[in-house]
Amino acid sequence: EDVLLPAPQNISILSTNMKHFLTWSPVIIQGETVRYSVEFQGEYEREYTNESWIPICECSLITATVCNITEDISATVAYNLRVKADVGARRSEWGTLKGFFNRITTSLTPPLMKVIAEGYHLLMELEDMGPAFQFCVLYWKKGQESRMQQKVVKEVSSVVHLDIMEAGSDYCVKAQTYVEAINRSSSFSHTQCVRAQDGRSMWL
Amino acid sequence: LYCSLPNPRNVHFESINMKNVLHWSAPEGTGDGVLYKVKYSVYGVGKWIRKPECRNINRTWCDLSSETSDYEEQYYGSVKAFLNGMCSNWMETTRFNPLTDTKIDPPMVSVSSTEKSISIVLTAPEKWKTSPEEESISLLQVYPGLRYNVSVLNKKTKKRWWFSISNNTLVVPWLEPGTAYCVSAQIYVTTPLLHSGFSKEYCIATLKDRTADETATIVFG
Amino acid sequence: LMSVTEIRSGFAAIKANIQARDPVRTLSILSHPHSLHKVKSSDRCCVTHHLFNFYVEKVFKHCKTEDSFVNRKISSIANSFLSLKRKLEQCHEQNKCMCGQESTKKFQQILANYEGLNVTSAAFKSLGELDILLDWMEKSH
Repeated sequence: EDVLLPAPQNISILSTNMKHFLTWSPVIIQGETVRYSVEFQGEYEREYTNESWIPICECSLITATVCNITEDISATVAYNLRVKADVGARRSEWGTLKGFFNRITTSLTPPLMKVIAEGYHLLMELEDMGPAFQFCVLYWKKGQESRMQQKVVKEVSSVVHLDIMEAGSDYCVKAQTYVEAINRSSSFSHTQCVRAQDGRSMWL
Repeated sequence: LYCSLPNPRNVHFESINMKNVLHWSAPEGTGDGVLYKVKYSVYGVGKWIRKPECRNINRTWCDLSSETSDYEEQYYGSVKAFLNGMCSNWMETTRFNPLTDTKIDPPMVSVSSTEKSISIVLTAPEKWKTSPEEESISLLQVYPGLRYNVSVLNKKTKKRWWFSISNNTLVVPWLEPGTAYCVSAQIYVTTPLLHSGFSKEYCIATLKDRTADETATIVFG
Repeated sequence: LMSVTEIRSGFAAIKANIQARDPVRTLSILSHPHSLHKVKSSDRCCVTHHLFNFYVEKVFKHCKTEDSFVNRKISSIANSFLSLKRKLEQCHEQNKCMCGQESTKKFQQILANYEGLNVTSAAFKSLGELDILLDWMEKSH
C-alpha cells in the first residue's frame, strides 16, 4: 500500500459551551476528492487497552474538514484525536492533534437572557444550552447590591419566575452558566434591569 | 405436549408507578382458544416461579406487581401458549428494572385562590399497592431527587410562567384579581432520568378586588 | 454527580444490547447471593472504590463488540469511570474512604461471582449490571 498522501495538518479543536469540533486543513490533490477519517482515544484506552483508537463513524470518509466530536468527548479526561486522508486506495499517515484535549478547557460564554417585569413579578427567559448546563441567577433591588439574591435554574423552560418585586422599584438581574461535569462557570452576562409596576392598583 | 405452536410475541413489562404488568401478543396465525401460562424469575436467582393466577388464561396480560414489588431486584417474565394439545416455547422478556423502567404519572394538582394569589399543592403518585392493606409509599420516597415543573398560565395575557420546585407547595402572590389562571405540573427525576407527562390544566380565578368595587360605589354612588 | 448522570445516559443507550449478550439469568455479579443494598453505610465508600477499580481494570477492556456505536458508548462510560475513580482515590488517600473487614469481604464475594464465569461472559454480565451499581450508588448518595 503506497503512502502518497500528506497527512492532514493544522489539526485543532474548537470547543465552546461543551460542543467540541475537530478541524484541520484540507489536503489538496489536484482533480481528486480527498476524504478524511477521524479517530479518538481516551485516557482509558491509553492506560488499559494498549492505546487503542476508536473510529467516529459519522466522520469516516467525509469530505468536510470538520468533525463534531461532542458525543465521544463525554468524560472529563484527556483525549487524543487523529485524522487521516484517503483518495481511492491511497491514504496518508495519521495526523494527530498536538497535545491532549480535555473538555474542562471548553470556553463558556455568558447565557443569553431577557428579563421581564409583569406586574410585581420578576421573570426571565434563558437560552436552553443543553442538559449539561445549569444557570446561576443573581438579582437585587437597585441600590441594594449588598442584598443580592441567588437562584439556580436547572431545567430551562421558556419564562422562569424569579421573585416578587416591591411596587415601583427597579430590579436588576445577571446570570452565568455552570457546568457540573467540569465544575466551571462562565462569566456573568450583562446586567439587565426592569421596573415593577407602581403601587396604584392598575385594576382600578 | 408437542411444542410446535408459534410463540407468543413481544413479551414485555408495562409499568406505571411500579404497577408491573406482563403483556404479550398472541402467536402468529392463531385464532381464538389459545391459553397461556406465566412464570417469572428474579435476576441472579436460579428458579422460575409459576404465577398460579395466570395459569391457563386466555387474556394476553398478567399482573406481576406483587411478585416484582422489590425494586432493588430485577426480573424476567416468561409466557407459554397452548392450543389443541400443542404448545409453544417459553418466551422471555428482557431484564426488567422496576426502578428505571417504570413510567410515572403526573402529580395530582389542587389549586385555591384569594384575591391576589393562587396556592398550588402537588401530590406525587404512590407506588402501586397490590392490596389495600399494603403500606402506602409515595414515589417521593422511591426517588428522593424528585422535583416538579409547574406552569402557570394567565388566561387574560396568555403569558405562561414556569416554576421548578422540590417541595410540593407553591404560592404565587401579587396576581391580578378577577383573572383566570391555569396550572399544570410535571414530575421529573434527574437520576435515573424519568419524566412524567404534564397533568391536565386546573384553572381557577382570583377573587374580584372588593376594594376597587367599594371605591367605585363611593365615587359613582 | 454529573458523571453518574452521563454514565446512566450512556448505559441506557446500550443496556438492551449488552444485556442481550448475557443469557445467564440465574447468576449475578453484584446482586446475588448477597445484595449491594445490604452493605452498611460505613462501608459504602470503600465498596464503591473497589467497584470502580474492578470495572476499570477488569470489566471494560473485555467488552469489545462488533458494533461501533456500542464500542463508543463503552469508551465513554469507561473514561467517566476513570475520572470518578481518580476522585475516589483522592478520598482514599485522605483517609475518607476507609476499608474495613466487612467491605473487603463484600468485594471478595463480588470477585468470586466474577471469577466463576469465563472472562468475556463475566465482563458483559458486569457491564449489563451497571444499573444495579448506579441505583445503589444513588440510593446511598
